[in-house]
Amino acid sequence: MKPDAIRGHLDALLLATLDGRQLHGYAIIEALQQGSGGALDLPTGTVYPALRRLERAGHVTSDWSTVGGRKRRTYKLTQAGQRALSAERNAWREFTTVIDGVLGGGGTWAQT
Amino acid sequence: MGADVIERYVTDLGSRLQGSRRQVRDLLTETRDSLTDATEAHLDDGLTEAEAQERAVEEFGPVREIAHEYQAELAVAYGTRTLVWLAIVLPLMHMAWEYGRMLLIGPWQDFGTMPPAWYLFIAQANDLTSGIASGVALVALILGRILARKYDTRLLAKVGAGVAVVAVGTVLLGNISIILATAHLDAARLVQSAPMLVATLISWIVIIRFGLLARRCLSCATIVA
Repeated sequence: MKPDAIRGHLDALLLATLDGRQLHGYAIIEALQQGSGGALDLPTGTVYPALRRLERAGHVTSDWSTVGGRKRRTYKLTQAGQRALSAERNAWREFTTVIDGVLGGGGTWAQT
Repeated sequence: MGADVIERYVTDLGSRLQGSRRQVRDLLTETRDSLTDATEAHLDDGLTEAEAQERAVEEFGPVREIAHEYQAELAVAYGTRTLVWLAIVLPLMHMAWEYGRMLLIGPWQDFGTMPPAWYLFIAQANDLTSGIASGVALVALILGRILARKYDTRLLAKVGAGVAVVAVGTVLLGNISIILATAHLDAARLVQSAPMLVATLISWIVIIRFGLLARRCLSCATIVA
């Protein structure tokens, strides 16, 4: 999948990746790649500024902690982040329903 | 050879960034960790050390593109820090100065004659500048948080820096105006109380410090990383 197509959804993808868990940067990148079956082709370096942006918005918090013997910055969702994730999921469902109604071939216009 | 690839990348990235030293260090530490993790993953996949590092750096992204995104975040962080200082320190500094004046010099009525209306206007305007500048900084901070995901980071950084520059400029203008007005009215008043002279000098040091912070905000927000 093209990086430009992903960029607009990166915040939502990161929020979903952190849902119910605390992860460090590379673990987030791995989870994103595994979750997409390796289809997300984004420069991994763009994840860190995006995490900072989410932190600024109050949607994630970060802490330095020792993971696997190395000091790492780990991220987790805040309550505001949970609410933002729910809103993103609802918006996405609505969007895909609408688009699928047209592109999926089930629209009345397609039958005429 | 392999380890040099990551170090070279991190060094190149660091040389392009401008902002709070701690923030830059944190970002570079995360970058180095991420590249090391990616290298380990590629080693597990059977690549050689050098190949694994090259692949990790390649996946991380072109240094110029990554620096551009990092710099935007650093600029916003620097602007936020400066606005927090402005919101807190400006009203405190003004209150301390006014309290000191009342304590050491007394109200204007005690000078025998009331200053002319134009002087009182400048004095009142100067009294308001710190409060207004602090309020504007606070509003900018709140809006910055609300709009963090809605607007481009570089735009937010530039707006934040602009607010900081205007806020400090207004306070500076207010202070210069009141000093010139006092000098015009009665220059002796400027030096009649040694403790107040010290308080005024401290105020100026703080204002100049804010001026330097605001200038650096602007530099962080406009630099091409």
